[in-house]
Amino acid sequence: MVNFFKRMRKLNALLDVRTGTGAAILPTAATATKEFPAITRLHLTYAQKIYGGHQGARHFWRKCLPRLKFHNPAIPMTVRQTTEQEIPASLTIYFSERTSDAASLLAAKITDKHAPKPLDTEQSAILELKDLDFQAIWNKVAKVTGAQEVPPTAADLAQRARHQEMDAKSITDRARVAEIRQQRADRERMLKEAKGEIEKLKEI
Amino acid sequence: MASSSSFLPSATRGVLSSSCRPAIRPRTMPPFLSGFQQVRPASQTRSKKAAPPKKKGGPKEFKQGNLDDLEQFALCDAMRYLRAFEVGREPASSKYEVHIRMKTRRDGPVIRNMLRFPHSVQTESRICVVCPPGTRIEKEARAAGAVLVGEQEVFDAVLAGKIEFDRCICHPDSLPALNKAGLGRILGPRGLMPSVKTGTVVEDVASRVEMLRGGTIYRERDAVIRLPIGQLAFSPEQLRDNLRVTIDQIKKDAAGLNDRITKEVYEVVLSSTNGPGFSLNGEFKTDNSPDVSALQGA
Repeated sequence: MVNFFKRMRKLNALLDVRTGTGAAILPTAATATKEFPAITRLHLTYAQKIYGGHQGARHFWRKCLPRLKFHNPAIPMTVRQTTEQEIPASLTIYFSERTSDAASLLAAKITDKHAPKPLDTEQSAILELKDLDFQAIWNKVAKVTGAQEVPPTAADLAQRARHQEMDAKSITDRARVAEIRQQRADRERMLKEAKGEIEKLKEI
Repeated sequence: MASSSSFLPSATRGVLSSSCRPAIRPRTMPPFLSGFQQVRPASQTRSKKAAPPKKKGGPKEFKQGNLDDLEQFALCDAMRYLRAFEVGREPASSKYEVHIRMKTRRDGPVIRNMLRFPHSVQTESRICVVCPPGTRIEKEARAAGAVLVGEQEVFDAVLAGKIEFDRCICHPDSLPALNKAGLGRILGPRGLMPSVKTGTVVEDVASRVEMLRGGTIYRERDAVIRLPIGQLAFSPEQLRDNLRVTIDQIKKDAAGLNDRITKEVYEVVLSSTNGPGFSLNGEFKTDNSPDVSALQGA
């Protein structure tokens, strides 16, 4: 049986899914405004290797997309990792009916052949992500979509503080346990050496 | 220090140490009696030898944690987190998994069975049927969804090294031909060779094919049964149906094992290919969970 506390420690990752960069609610049909229409889905395309400015896009998928997905469970999000290194990393945002004003200003004049075609009721805008880090990508996305950030709750903050305490403690604990293990190894080595000497004496 | 006790005969020492100690113990020990302390270890080791030898082996049951220490989740909440962890993954390759922890002894029989989900998890397994060609059986097998059906053509394909199926079943009428073809050396190591013992030689081929296509094999290892339970695109209701069927069947398996063996489900953990494990509390949803319709699809 895996220790329950070990398992609970794994679940510390849930806090990182709830809070952080990208923890925001995208406008839905209910909350759409004139400025920011509802978002229907997202599609991210980036290449397998990081050269050519694909690193930020991958980090965006790793870090921001889980948070976005957690806060917007109903919005389908797809990611395509290609081997075509030369095509730019891009994020396609699908708006219902029409794109937001910011999107029409910031959208790049590129096409993404891996992105699904927008439906008749959708309008898509493509953001170019080349050479941007994930924070910059998120800022861009937030601007285009009008996402409402979800601030961490008091409970989340308390939990974060607790995790930091745990992390700090694990550094000292690691050092302590390493010392104990080293001592034990030394003891065993010395014992072995001593035994070896006895063997030698016997041979003589 | 020349211990005062050394003046006493050894027999007295023993008597004193056993009978007087309770009276002496609470008081601070006067220096002249301190010798008794030195005697004590010897008398103790003697009594230890008389004690029964230490029990061999570890505990008889698997260790169970206290579930109160564990944060538990409703199904919809767990799904919401798992879908966040799996975002952007290929929907065909990422799956929900369930880990069912049993309360059971370390020795004794284990649960091992196959089950058919109401909502099929696997991209269907390809099945090969060995049966006399041109008969009703062949037609039925094909209708049930077997990929490769026949006698000689199957043997030829296998001998040529083309094994494009995951399961192989055989009709008893074809068993002699199968044995004659000498496929055991090829199929045996892969676990595909039909035999009566594994239940892959059956009269009613069609129903067996049906079952195998949607069937998932599971077995208990170290008191845990792990099996894939759903595709990531499943709705919470679909997942709940699959979970319910799984747990019901496992309970049935546990009940059917033996009268003397008690096995029960202790904990159900939902996880996914890339996500952590969430212990389920048996609730379907909570007030905070999102709308059920939001938790399906890509």
